[in-house]
Amino acid sequence: MFDFLIQGFDVALTPLNLGLAFMGALLGTLFGALPGIGPINGIAILMPLAYTLGLPAESALILLAGVYTGAEYGGRMSSILLNVPGDAGAVMTTLDGYPLAKKGLAGPALGLSAISSFVGATIAIIGLTLFAPMLAEVAVLFGPAEFFGLMVFAFASMSVMMGNDPVKTGIGAVLGVLVAMVGVDSGTGVMRYTLDMPELYDGVDFVVMIIGLFAISEILLMLEHAHSKKAEDEMPPVSRVMVHIKEVMYCKWAMLRSSIIGFIVGVLPGTGASVASAVAYTTEKRLSDKDNTFGTGDMRGLAAPEAGNNAAAVGSFVPMLTLGIPGSGTTAVLLGALMLYNITPGPMMFTERPEVAGGLIASLYIGNIVLLLLNLPLAGLFAKVLTIPRWALVPGIAILAFVGVYQLHSSLTAIYMMLLIGVVGYALRKLGFSLAPIILGYVLGGLMEDNLRRALSISGGDMGILWQSGISIGLWIAAALLLLMPLIMTKLLPGKSLTHT
Amino acid sequence: MKIAADRILGIALIGLATLAAFNASQFEVMFSYEPVGPKAFPILLATILAGLSLALVFRPGENGEWPDKHVVLRLLAVLAVLLVYAMLFTRLGFMITTFFAVLFLARLFEATWQKALVAGVLMSVGSYYLFTLGLGISLPTGLWLPKFN
Repeated sequence: MFDFLIQGFDVALTPLNLGLAFMGALLGTLFGALPGIGPINGIAILMPLAYTLGLPAESALILLAGVYTGAEYGGRMSSILLNVPGDAGAVMTTLDGYPLAKKGLAGPALGLSAISSFVGATIAIIGLTLFAPMLAEVAVLFGPAEFFGLMVFAFASMSVMMGNDPVKTGIGAVLGVLVAMVGVDSGTGVMRYTLDMPELYDGVDFVVMIIGLFAISEILLMLEHAHSKKAEDEMPPVSRVMVHIKEVMYCKWAMLRSSIIGFIVGVLPGTGASVASAVAYTTEKRLSDKDNTFGTGDMRGLAAPEAGNNAAAVGSFVPMLTLGIPGSGTTAVLLGALMLYNITPGPMMFTERPEVAGGLIASLYIGNIVLLLLNLPLAGLFAKVLTIPRWALVPGIAILAFVGVYQLHSSLTAIYMMLLIGVVGYALRKLGFSLAPIILGYVLGGLMEDNLRRALSISGGDMGILWQSGISIGLWIAAALLLLMPLIMTKLLPGKSLTHT
Repeated sequence: MKIAADRILGIALIGLATLAAFNASQFEVMFSYEPVGPKAFPILLATILAGLSLALVFRPGENGEWPDKHVVLRLLAVLAVLLVYAMLFTRLGFMITTFFAVLFLARLFEATWQKALVAGVLMSVGSYYLFTLGLGISLPTGLWLPKFN
């Protein structure tokens, strides 16, 4: 049953892939530590390079997955030291992490959070190893109608869980799907929304889309905070990074519970690290905050969200690898990266491309140990990254974005399109949209239409096929329940919003 | 002000949805092998988009803080730098254009002239050799210089 894992370790332990896992972990921690650059931006910036270098699919995925998990480690640095979350998943980490640093316990806080991250990720990787092949076996039974239902469920779960405003999440997702419609329709050869531009016949390029949407809009967004605060002046000194075993044991139940919660939330399609850390923190607060110490620098309040968000990052690989449905915005980008290699993740991947699925899972085990080893002794060094001034950071991002997009087709049109998408992305972020639903819609849009059309071709146009099997009926009911949940919740808990992203 | 922005956005998106649906209705196929065709899904999307946008018009949500006039000016300046960078990228070559792009971007992000100059030289030359020699990516050397390698 675990043949794929043995084969995976064969792949992951080659010198090239070991090196890439190490590089990914290192770069990911750095990217995560840089304020404003989270896992998605890091992957968006590095992906075209991985593609150009001619890395085989599994190696590219190992590098990018390392960046992803590394960024979840790195995101905690600025949360703890500066009270500024490095990315959305690290928001809850500020609540107890920063007060700890204020008390002069910055070092132990960094150490403890590294250990919590390790525990969370490890539990989730074991979960991934156990459940992914099982889910893949069920997913083999899925036909086009079931896949269509599954995507509807993914979008429903996303609108409810992601962001504060379900309407805007929905609009973002639909806009993303519309962008995916651009290009020559594969079924009929009709040109759709190509505006008579030959560059658009193949659709809006994936790399152009994510670099524009994330990297360029981030540059524009950084301009506002250019003179907000100077990191050097505010950063508390990082003294001892080691934590006492007593402190770790004090948090063990918080870590274990949060890891399991994080894994489950991560597995749900459409919800990622930010939701997981919020749920983990609030659960832990409810269960163990007897003396009202949460929020004032309680170690358990730091361990919970960190274990949660790392577990969720790994958990979101489960639906991506088995169903081809990304569990989070970042895995949506990874899914797109795989599609560049003409690999469509899905139930067949474990049998047809075991080196990709197994190699990735094996590299997560390795990368996670590398991350712990890097993060315990070097936390103080990584913290220095926070002092990189924006005037050096921004031109660096701009160069990477330009080179990454230019080398795709040596075309300037792609660069102009990237800038345009960046401006649109900036405007949408200012208007309170989150970008993850857009990218999920864009990645899933084509698959959604294909599956709908395939299903209706099978039935000869009879819509009934969409809710014929037990699996599809279950998915439609689950989607409907999710969409109704906020209404029910507001009835039950008046005046309380569910989650903040 | 904040609420108005969402209303305007909602109306603009309804316009976009109408355009998308109208455009989709023009997708003609000579002969179709399948019952759905290229039109149906985009029209379905446009309908959902219009519905959600209508909800936005009637129940506008929260926005972020809008930048003040000073920031808007610098925002436009950054965009201008990036646009000119793109326009001259192949014509003048990677090194020259990157030097100026880094110089002006660093200035716009409040570096001193000295720091910006150093960053410009280091980043343009360093990244050129990193990408070409280190990673084997070919970058434009510029049309005005004889090719040097």
